[in-house]
Amino acid sequence: MTQFWNSDFMWSFRHAPVAIVSFCVVALLVFCAVFAPLIAPFDPFDPSTLNLMNGFSKPMEPNAFTGDSFWLGTDDQGRDVFSTILYGMRISLFVGFAAVLFAMVLGISLGLIAGYVGGWTETIIMRTADVQLTFPSILVAMLIFGIAKGFTPVELRDQMAIWVLIIAIGLSDWVQFARVVRGAALVEKNKEYVQAAQLIGRSSFAIMLRHILPNVLSPVLVIATISLALAIIAEATLSFLGVGAPPTQPSLGTLIRIGQGFLFSGEWWILFFPAVTLLTLALSVNLLGDWLRDAMNPRLK
Amino acid sequence: MLRVTCALCALLVGNAAAAETFKWASSTDPQTMDPHAVNSAPVLGFLNNVYEGLVRRGKDMAIEGALAESWEPIGSEGWRFNLRKGVTFHDGSEFTAEDVMFSYQRASSEAADTASWFAPVSSVSIIDDYTIDFITSAPNPIFPDSIANFMIMDKGWAEANGAELPAKDAENHATLNTNGTGAFQLVERQPGLTTVLEPFDGWWGEVEHNITRAEFTPIQNPATAVAALLSGDVDMIDPVPIQDKARVDQRDGVKVFGGIEARVIMLGFPHAADALKHGSNAGDPNPFKDVRVRKAVAHAINVDAILATIMRGAAEPASQLVSPAMRGYSSDLAARPAFDVEGAKALLAEAGYADGFSFGLKCPNDRYLNDESVCQAVVGMLAQIGVTAQLDAMPVQNYWPELRADNYDMYLLGWSPGTFDAEHPIRFLAHTPDAEKKLGSWNFGDFSNARVDELLPMIQSEIDDAKRQAMLDESAKILQDEMAYVPLYVQPLVWGAQDNIELTQRPDNFFILRWVTVN
Repeated sequence: MTQFWNSDFMWSFRHAPVAIVSFCVVALLVFCAVFAPLIAPFDPFDPSTLNLMNGFSKPMEPNAFTGDSFWLGTDDQGRDVFSTILYGMRISLFVGFAAVLFAMVLGISLGLIAGYVGGWTETIIMRTADVQLTFPSILVAMLIFGIAKGFTPVELRDQMAIWVLIIAIGLSDWVQFARVVRGAALVEKNKEYVQAAQLIGRSSFAIMLRHILPNVLSPVLVIATISLALAIIAEATLSFLGVGAPPTQPSLGTLIRIGQGFLFSGEWWILFFPAVTLLTLALSVNLLGDWLRDAMNPRLK
Repeated sequence: MLRVTCALCALLVGNAAAAETFKWASSTDPQTMDPHAVNSAPVLGFLNNVYEGLVRRGKDMAIEGALAESWEPIGSEGWRFNLRKGVTFHDGSEFTAEDVMFSYQRASSEAADTASWFAPVSSVSIIDDYTIDFITSAPNPIFPDSIANFMIMDKGWAEANGAELPAKDAENHATLNTNGTGAFQLVERQPGLTTVLEPFDGWWGEVEHNITRAEFTPIQNPATAVAALLSGDVDMIDPVPIQDKARVDQRDGVKVFGGIEARVIMLGFPHAADALKHGSNAGDPNPFKDVRVRKAVAHAINVDAILATIMRGAAEPASQLVSPAMRGYSSDLAARPAFDVEGAKALLAEAGYADGFSFGLKCPNDRYLNDESVCQAVVGMLAQIGVTAQLDAMPVQNYWPELRADNYDMYLLGWSPGTFDAEHPIRFLAHTPDAEKKLGSWNFGDFSNARVDELLPMIQSEIDDAKRQAMLDESAKILQDEMAYVPLYVQPLVWGAQDNIELTQRPDNFFILRWVTVN
């Protein structure tokens, strides 16, 4: 532990106030999201707890009809905005993490294969990646989401929406991982330790997984962090456009979409607080990723 | 440089104003350009600019002659229409009694959604090129009133293009093209994107408007529509979301047209389905067959709360299928079922559902004002009595086919009586569905009551107002006692327009282009 604390990595962390602050913010938001059911004063998705007369309560002000007061106000259905944000963040973070994990697994596997095997396999994988890169990732995600929606039965659409979202964002994001891993694998595969492993007869699969993979992981970690921020924003964008998380399981993007309808009429809080939360979350993750990239870049040392 | 740019801008704006292009937006795209395929206000309202009926409604909703110059009863058996001479369709072909006959056959065919308008008609006969008789099976004093939206299509054009019959949920030539006699003709139709009309030079009537081109764009998101109005991208929007009414009203350069619409928003039930189709109880016996369950639903809904919050006090509660402003409204039956959670729970327990049940609620999300919010509120209120509703909200394009396929356990419906008479919803919503008699065509839930079925023809042919009202009262009472529908509220009508636009707002929410002037 002491060794870790004194490592170069931690030294750089301790001397980067931006990293410390953004790490704390991310940790706090993740904590709130994970323990949302314990922290949130209401369960906004249990309709039996809602009182419509509480609708449009202003933040910190008692409602004119019921006298109830809500920290961040309520939306048109009388749902506590603070609670919906906590639950919404849960969905946003879950989709973000799961999509990045999916993209990572897919990208690393294809990148390793392309880099190590080479030949036609490499051409097919990497040209596919190039073609996909020419489309904006949000467009790819929308396309995948649209196709998947056509296949899922109406009954299951709401339950499946989250998983479809994860696959859509993951599939639109794997290219970056594949490119970086392929590049690193190309370098590593000609090194002596790999040749040694080949000589003693280890299988290609084992060499890729046990020898090359550990040596290409650090750039992957950096990309993953930055991808997380992008995935959270991609999810919010899709949900804002109405093709992502359904209103029954609203993510931050869905909440912003709902709030947008009340912007002109002066109920700013329904849009403002989810939007600020999304901004804070995406910004902190991004700053953390930036710092990580610098800290792990040997050329900057 | 800046000055040059500004001068250019001014020039462009100046030109645009001289051309009098009028742009308007609404939340719903008319589903089809076929006047007989879908009997819904967005379609009929839009097509009233392109097609014309024998008669039409004026600014005060009174009936006036359109393609018929005059009409008179033939004894008590029917009506004779004397057609206007020298009228041509947009493609130049002449309008004659043949076209009326053809349109009647088309609009009353089984493939048409408008067939029930002609339920009282027993036969139609052409007397000469400009005279046609509609014979009714019983005396029908309000018949000319009831066919104001019966629009006449060119026979030769429809036959040449294979559009002899309307296509309800499919497509044919008449779904995307038109050939009417109206003041405007269709120049471009891109479903869901844009629809462009231009004035028809050969129109027979006196031109009141000064539009040279009219562009319609559906904008589903209400906030986007308001933004488009405020930024001047469009000249008129329908509707202005109720939550934004006050704000739009205060803004300089735009104005709000408000009124009470004739539309009653209600919940409908499956009266004939044997099993629930959605939710965790899918497949179980249908609880809504029990009148106690339907009453429990009615008592569980706090309409005042919906009106105070979601509708911002701009709507009136409804107790019947028509609003108090309609002819034939039953003023003795004005009380809604009281909001009473305990009473509702007791009714459920009595019906054997003390532990509640789960079902699927279908709802449109671009048809009525705040429709999805209202449905969400209904879900919350039903949860208070232990009933779990699974909400499935969708655009109308998908919604009507779902209802026609009976794929729901409860649904939201709005009804505006085209005749402004209480008889209209009985004919469409309460009479047992009967394709042959063309009745009950929007009675998706197959509500059926022998006495209501018996009363309808009597109401239609009764000339004495007091007797007619007594029968309407009786039928309204049955519908209330049986809780055929749960009427919720009468929807308000809110349009917004630029200050330089003059228009007439009709209570049926039809937007008539020929009454628009751009100043």
